Amino acid sequence: MKILRHNRIIRFVHWITALSIFVLIFTGIGQMPVYRRYNVDQIPGLGWSSDFLVTVNIHYIAAAVLIFISLYYLTYLIGTHRFDILPRSGDIRESVQIFASMAGLAEEPENDKYLAEQRLAFAITAVSVIMLIITGLIKVYKNLPGIEAPASIVFWSAQIHNLFTAILLLSVIVHLLAFLIKDNRPLVPSMFTGYVERAYAERRHKLWLQKLEGKTESAAEKNII
Amino acid sequence: MTITRRTFLKRAAISGATAAILLSGTRKAAAILTPEQEYATIIDLTKCNDCVHQDTPACVLACRTKNQDRFPQPEKPIGDYWPQPVHEDWSDKKHITNRLTPYNWIYVQHLQVEHQGSIMDVHVPRRCMHCDNPPCAGLCPFGVNNKTPEGAVVIDTNICFGGAKCRDVCPWEIPQRQAGVGLYKKVAPKFAGGGVMYKCDMCIDLIRDGKEPVCVSACPNQAMTFGPKEELRSYARRWAEENQGYIYGDLENGGTSTFYLSKVPFEAIDRAIKKQEVDGKPGRPTMEAGIGNPLDEPENIAKAFLVAPVAGILAAGLSVYKTMQGEDIHEDTEA
Repeated sequence: MKILRHNRIIRFVHWITALSIFVLIFTGIGQMPVYRRYNVDQIPGLGWSSDFLVTVNIHYIAAAVLIFISLYYLTYLIGTHRFDILPRSGDIRESVQIFASMAGLAEEPENDKYLAEQRLAFAITAVSVIMLIITGLIKVYKNLPGIEAPASIVFWSAQIHNLFTAILLLSVIVHLLAFLIKDNRPLVPSMFTGYVERAYAERRHKLWLQKLEGKTESAAEKNII
Repeated sequence: MTITRRTFLKRAAISGATAAILLSGTRKAAAILTPEQEYATIIDLTKCNDCVHQDTPACVLACRTKNQDRFPQPEKPIGDYWPQPVHEDWSDKKHITNRLTPYNWIYVQHLQVEHQGSIMDVHVPRRCMHCDNPPCAGLCPFGVNNKTPEGAVVIDTNICFGGAKCRDVCPWEIPQRQAGVGLYKKVAPKFAGGGVMYKCDMCIDLIRDGKEPVCVSACPNQAMTFGPKEELRSYARRWAEENQGYIYGDLENGGTSTFYLSKVPFEAIDRAIKKQEVDGKPGRPTMEAGIGNPLDEPENIAKAFLVAPVAGILAAGLSVYKTMQGEDIHEDTEA
């Protein structure tokens, strides 16, 4: 028996976000003069990577996509009141407990739809994306003809943009490394198909399952096949 | 910006009087410089003669003298830009005055320009044009290259990492790099950064003291004129119309703070520059007439930033409605 974990909309948001962030990080790093120096542009098919004017254009297009999907997601969360991915009080303590349980030092807490560490990771990623969008828009605005921003704004928007790029890149790496942990692996196919096994939900997301099954009979039936 | 003959004449009439005062008196401009106003330089190629009787043109000498304490003093030996087996070092070639280097922020190029069947000598002082929307500053990944309210484009050499991107995106490849100096030395000198970029800063310190840049005041032929930008622009346009001459820098790269005046078309000057090009390295800028600004294309894409959030919210509204209707709670087809 399978349970719907990520509906079409969430999967769409996830993959569009992933794609745009991948393109943004690649072309963003390309704004530093590193691809020519490190011969990345010698790799067949990547000759364009050291052309700043090509990468800046792609960066802008991918940024527009990220802004679109971020606002889409935010509106969707608010509109459907689905706040189960937002951090809660006690999440840091609970995350420590989860890691301790992996080492066999503690019991894994009973989890809702998302684990405490997943909610925290989401928050770090979301804050990074928000900061990158804000500083990125400042950077775009100051480059419009006739706009002269004070030196301090130009400097700090660049520094903060670079800092959160590093934080976002780390959070993406940690996100991918999480799948080295066997317990997390059923979540890989679920981001393609939308579904997880009921047994998995029962074991790892007991509180979520209880909520689903606590709904009206008809709604529960709709969620569980 | 398109200037019709009518608007041109109107502007010329308004500012003509001021410009005439400016340009008739040799050094009167200094007296009326006020901070927070945008300035420009006119470089009249009909007056520059490369200071033929001197070893070094006066403008070049004045610039080198004024800025000598700011020239890079690299620690040696200087490492390569790993993994490339190269680094840019001009410290043993400080004497070079026939091109831009980190130790030479202005030079005068002597050209033999072919025009209408005859060959004439043209001398072109070259330095940073101080663009209206400078790609070098706009695209600096560290935000340490800025346009000041006075119109000067200034690199903060204390923070510059020397990636030389500013040179790559400048239509004239003006900024020049010296390795072995700057912030990158304190971080990971072997792997990241390449030194510090140097170029003309329009003598911003002097402007803020109400004085002209030294290249302007040093010129014995009054080939350069410094003053309020719009007045000089009007003068330049009027001069071009009255003398069947040409302007360079008014529209190039979307507008700059340097207006070259010439009796021969800049297409011919550009051809002569390209003919003279020998080593193919940056530092001997060309003069392509009407060259565009590399920031124009991303600016067009930037319009999408106005549409994207609205589209995101509207699309989400539709999705929220569908979800609340229960349409996509259940996905039979994929189970």
